[in-house]
Amino acid sequence: MTHDLNLLAGAYALDALEPAERELFEAHLAECPECAEEVRGMQRTAAELSQLTESEPPPALRAELLHRVAQVRPLPPVVDGNVIALRRARIARSTWQALAAACAVIAIVLGGWGWSQHRDAQHAQSRAAAMSSVLAQPDVTATTTALSQGSGTVIYAKHEHKVVLIGRDLPRLPAGKTYQLWMLPAHGQAVSGGTFAVDAAGNVAYEVDGDLTGYVKMGVSVEPAGGSVQPTPSTVQLLNV
Amino acid sequence: MTSMFPDRGRGSRPSPAAEPAATEAASLEDLLAASARGDEPAFAELYDRTAARVYGMVLRVVRDPAQSAEVTQDVYLELWRNAARFDAGKGGLLPYLLMIGHRRAVDRVRAAQASVVRDDRYAQLTEERPFDSVTEQAQLNLESQRVRKVLDGLTPPQREAINLAYFGGYTHTEVAELLKLPLGTVKTRIRDGLIRMRDALGVTA
Repeated sequence: MTHDLNLLAGAYALDALEPAERELFEAHLAECPECAEEVRGMQRTAAELSQLTESEPPPALRAELLHRVAQVRPLPPVVDGNVIALRRARIARSTWQALAAACAVIAIVLGGWGWSQHRDAQHAQSRAAAMSSVLAQPDVTATTTALSQGSGTVIYAKHEHKVVLIGRDLPRLPAGKTYQLWMLPAHGQAVSGGTFAVDAAGNVAYEVDGDLTGYVKMGVSVEPAGGSVQPTPSTVQLLNV
Repeated sequence: MTSMFPDRGRGSRPSPAAEPAATEAASLEDLLAASARGDEPAFAELYDRTAARVYGMVLRVVRDPAQSAEVTQDVYLELWRNAARFDAGKGGLLPYLLMIGHRRAVDRVRAAQASVVRDDRYAQLTEERPFDSVTEQAQLNLESQRVRKVLDGLTPPQREAINLAYFGGYTHTEVAELLKLPLGTVKTRIRDGLIRMRDALGVTA
């Protein structure tokens, strides 16, 4: 109860952590029941603050919501544990084969950026450098999973706690929607790895700090702009790591 | 039990034991369970009983009514879609809804923020003394009076930090900057303030 991260529980309950801290702390929550319990109590306390701001929503909101609800079928309950409908994943036989492929993809993706976003050339270069440093780590692994459309490769530098997602040929999303990356434990809540967008060709190279120890899969979901606290189950596709 | 067909006739529910004697008696969790079976009137009732809390909080954070309505609608649509998957073991439905709503409201303001706008908003905030003004509107509500009392029991610095973080939507780093305080001090104030509130309100995890 007295370790350093515990001090973040209050700010976390108020959604006041910086994005990177939020991820770090959520990863910690998955492993620390004491902090998880403290956070729950604080979140319920924070919820009480909304007693002070009660305000009737406009009637149009109710009408619009119920109109939309009538058009959406509620998802069935999760019957078999925590399993989210999983597209048959194809795991690359050899990590190194996949790594070679991933490097080629990075070259393509970054090349594409350089071409289409010359104003951000420097930014792209620094990202390329950062990703090269991930790929240079001796313990890096790369695993490619076929998705319903396109594919996702998770490159993971265990020692550096770096994850790079290489997405290829992913569907472009309508306005107001975003992709979100998740770390998924065998049991319990998913931990967000942040949101990302794909380029015009549906490609992306997205890097995030993360320690996958204790997680069994990664996932990509489609969420409202800004991302969600937990993935929208119907949109989740699993990525092998 | 998991029929996909809307079960609108309340008398035809499968479990007589779970059937509420009157609409008022149905808990939010009961209404959600009915929603999971496609019961739109049950969902409408759930909305009617919780929306003022969720929308009011979102409006406080986001401020723009149109955007606040959007955020609120997203929260409820997600709830409808995932009604069958809500785990009541984690605590009540309303705190969960408020938690999701707050996260989304905060994400929305942060996505849209520009530093100049933020400075203006802070000036506005401090002038308005949000707790004083908002509480006046809700004077008649006993529950809100109780929360207000508990807030009054905090030290002013604790209150200010919590106010800026929760209703202002600022990160603790921003709060520290706004208050010209070390980050560690702000973390401690937020945490100690919430613990005091939690204990005074008798909230259990």
